[in-house]
Amino acid sequence: MSEIIRIANKRIAVENDGWLLLNEAGADVWPEGDVIVPLADWLARRDTLKSRTGRTGVWLAPADDTLSLKDAFDGLALIAVQFPKFTDGRGYSHATLLRRRLGWTGELRAFGEVLRDQLFYMARTGFDAFVVPDGLKAEALTGGLNDFSVAYQDAVVDPAAPALANRAAAVREAKIARTTHQLQKIAAKHPDAIFATSLSAEDMVITDLIARHSLPIHITTLDTGRLHPETLGMIGEVKSKYGIDIEVMHPVAEAVEAHVATHGAFAFYESLELRKACCGIRKVEPLNRALSGRSAWLTGQRRDQAVTRVHLPEAEHDEARGMAKYNPLADWSWDDVLAYAARFDVPLNPLHARGYPSIGCEPCTRAIRPGEDPRAGRWWWEQADAKECGLHVGPDGTLTRTNLESAA
Amino acid sequence: MYRYDAVDRLLVEERAAQFRGQTERFLKGELSEDAFKPLRLQNGLYVQRHAPMLRVAIPYGMLSSDQLRVLGRIAREYDRGYGHFTTRQNIQYNWVEIARVPDILDELAAVEMHGIQTSGNCIRNTTTDHLAGVAADEIVDPRPYCELMRQWSTFNPEFAFLPRKFKVAFNGAGQNRAATGVHDLAFDLKLDAAGEVVMDVMAGGGQGRTPRIGPVIKRDLPWREMLTYTEAVLRAYNRWGRRDNLYKARIKILVESIGAERFAADVEDEWRHLKGGIARITDEEFQRINACFTDPAYLSDDEASADLSGLRVQHKRFDAWLRRNVVAHKRAGYAAVTLSLKRTGPAPGDATDTEMERAADLADRFSFGELRVSHHQNLVLAHVARKDLFDLWQAAEAAGFAEPNIGLVTDIIACPGGDFCALANARAIPIATAIQERFDAAKQEAIGELAVKISGCINSCGHHHVGHIGVLGVDKNGEEWYQILVGGRSDNEVTLGTILGRSIKFDEVPGMVERLVDVYLNAREGEERFIDTVGRIGIAPFKAAAYPDKVQAA
Ligand code: SF4
Ligand code: SF4
Repeated sequence: MSEIIRIANKRIAVENDGWLLLNEAGADVWPEGDVIVPLADWLARRDTLKSRTGRTGVWLAPADDTLSLKDAFDGLALIAVQFPKFTDGRGYSHATLLRRRLGWTGELRAFGEVLRDQLFYMARTGFDAFVVPDGLKAEALTGGLNDFSVAYQDAVVDPAAPALANRAAAVREAKIARTTHQLQKIAAKHPDAIFATSLSAEDMVITDLIARHSLPIHITTLDTGRLHPETLGMIGEVKSKYGIDIEVMHPVAEAVEAHVATHGAFAFYESLELRKACCGIRKVEPLNRALSGRSAWLTGQRRDQAVTRVHLPEAEHDEARGMAKYNPLADWSWDDVLAYAARFDVPLNPLHARGYPSIGCEPCTRAIRPGEDPRAGRWWWEQADAKECGLHVGPDGTLTRTNLESAA
Repeated sequence: MYRYDAVDRLLVEERAAQFRGQTERFLKGELSEDAFKPLRLQNGLYVQRHAPMLRVAIPYGMLSSDQLRVLGRIAREYDRGYGHFTTRQNIQYNWVEIARVPDILDELAAVEMHGIQTSGNCIRNTTTDHLAGVAADEIVDPRPYCELMRQWSTFNPEFAFLPRKFKVAFNGAGQNRAATGVHDLAFDLKLDAAGEVVMDVMAGGGQGRTPRIGPVIKRDLPWREMLTYTEAVLRAYNRWGRRDNLYKARIKILVESIGAERFAADVEDEWRHLKGGIARITDEEFQRINACFTDPAYLSDDEASADLSGLRVQHKRFDAWLRRNVVAHKRAGYAAVTLSLKRTGPAPGDATDTEMERAADLADRFSFGELRVSHHQNLVLAHVARKDLFDLWQAAEAAGFAEPNIGLVTDIIACPGGDFCALANARAIPIATAIQERFDAAKQEAIGELAVKISGCINSCGHHHVGHIGVLGVDKNGEEWYQILVGGRSDNEVTLGTILGRSIKFDEVPGMVERLVDVYLNAREGEERFIDTVGRIGIAPFKAAAYPDKVQAA
């Protein structure tokens, strides 16, 4: 009895296999139970085979004529295709023709030299069962099914969008896979990596990916004391949906009190300096505290969020803080974010639906009107090129404004 | 140039990661040499005479200056400081370490490059005209079709293990510069009466042991069906191509054995089920890809032009360079310039790390940061304003790229041959050098256009079958010998060369080439080129001169 790998409903299972494969054609009597007979026998002795007890399958050698099975499916429990050598690619055309031309929907199994690095191609041409060759272990093979997350061509069984026919869907699929790979690499390289979430939709996508792949990435957020209640509510949403406790950083109370006492509670409207001072106390200092001593942090920044971010790299070195910084959603669009959230049922800050694509502190954020720039609602009284809170700084400690000129 | 989106990027990244895993399993002994071989081959990694060789794809020959700089850096950091541009518009590194290849693939992936399917029995890198998109005689820009073919053929699950390798080429110009006649599958692009792009399809051409010109199997294929039709061809080949004999496994043998007509009918039959299906090219996808191949921001013809006549008189070598290395562009104010990689001494097509960086700098300065690799193993700057030609010439002289020999006898195509290739019967590079040494600048100018092509064995990587003069390395009792062919050509009138007679020794080759040239010079009428003279007077006079001592049978 050999082991067989099966794919059903996109799940991979390993089972013992009870089918007996008969090599030689021309038998008159067959053993009891489930047997797989050569093509010639099935074509010549179908009625006899159908009347026996036990199920019957048929197997194709590379040189067999696939199309001879046209109108000969009745009574067949499975079709097996032989790969005498893995370099003999005729079996892939058998599979394609069986699935596409003849409409075979039952089990299609590959046997012979079925190796790890061929499984992906086999699955895409329609095989859904793979006989593990003697001397190999199923676990050593199944990894091959996951080597690639998207494909240019359409596949017989995999409903994933073929890039040549539906690029937009494939691009979305690819972005999710690339971001996942990146997060996995970051987690492996930096066991102390920390993700600073603002609880925005972008950051909820990253949170969802971290949870979905059980990645050991610590998550923290900054409670500035001026956040919307809806935003703060997301901390509980994350706890109840993912069971993740987000660490909440607070500003130093004395610093906040002193600032308010001197400049008032709404000083940020008065000047850029005072606004930055407030952000410094309520955001930058707590963030620096959260990051200190770690080797890497992650953000949910995207290139098309703002003119200040058009050249945002996926990985950079945060020189001011002396640590690695990753922006795994750099090439995502706002629509990509929303599509992901809808597909995976990610909880979103209700303010997004009320016209706030970008959300900060309550007094410093307003809803935007249709057609307005997504970040128009942040510090809306300021110039577009100044609208950073100071969390994302360049090597000299100043705000990063990479290539503003070319972007403007 | 085509720019990767997330799909393309992800695939090369996942491929690099997959190969890293395969290499680790191989080095740990979990993957046998036999099982590793086809996997490494499909990533371009061969085991050569001295060391593993890595072949990197340059899809249809297009390169950005940034990519070329990375190719140069790889040559420096992972190899011995040079790379070899091949007749298939790829680049090869001759001295890589297997364990470091995954790192190279990561570096390549970061600049949208890879070694995918550059060897092995699969669909190889698509090739085309090195003047695509700029040629004055272009009818249809082949690049978007090449890119569609690149994507469709990359990891195509049904056709990853074909009987043998499979090479696809495109031509969209009046003059065929892509040698489409000698490819497994080739497309000639043209416009129908309604102005729609249609294609003539040839299958079963090729060089090697059994050189064949591919017969046309389909005329006027609508462009949207290019991939459905290709699928039909490949399915026929995958199912019915011979797998019992390595030498009879190419599609040309299948086409020939059943006849082109019957093959075409079989393909047509299969295609009936496929046309209009999911692999039909959508307008949206075509537009997306086509938008990558728009013209750069050209100056107006007036702004770009200049009167160079004074400089031509002053600088004889500049004048020669303009005549030989500079060709017309679809815009009157521009020209396409070849940077010659055919210096006497270095192997044809070799470039060092610093040369690659210098060429990249020239591309940035003079040609919108873009280059092409030609199947003649040279680099091409495709968009040079005529007013910049003198500056470019001076810079190219300083960088060692201005040998004014394009199309001349020293612009030799040669494969790596016995110096590197494990399959070689004889060396090719020293033969090229020895021939180059016989012809100085004045002599080769006097001769004019003459294509010498050298292969180290019958696999014909050096295209000797289609050289005006072809040289083929053969093995005689373990010694290197050479066969000489005359009359081959790869242009519109594609023709296979004729073997002149018995094979000769290394030292005899340059002298024989000289004698063949003399036959031409003596017989030439007017402006006639070497190949025209061969056409007019036939092979016999060349045979006679080739073996002067031998009494020729009538
Ligand atoms: S966003 Fe406004 S309230 Fe929040 S820290 Fe900055 S200035 Fe202060
Ligand atoms: S023609 Fe022969 S010797 Fe030359 S590269 Fe090809 S296989 Fe090697």
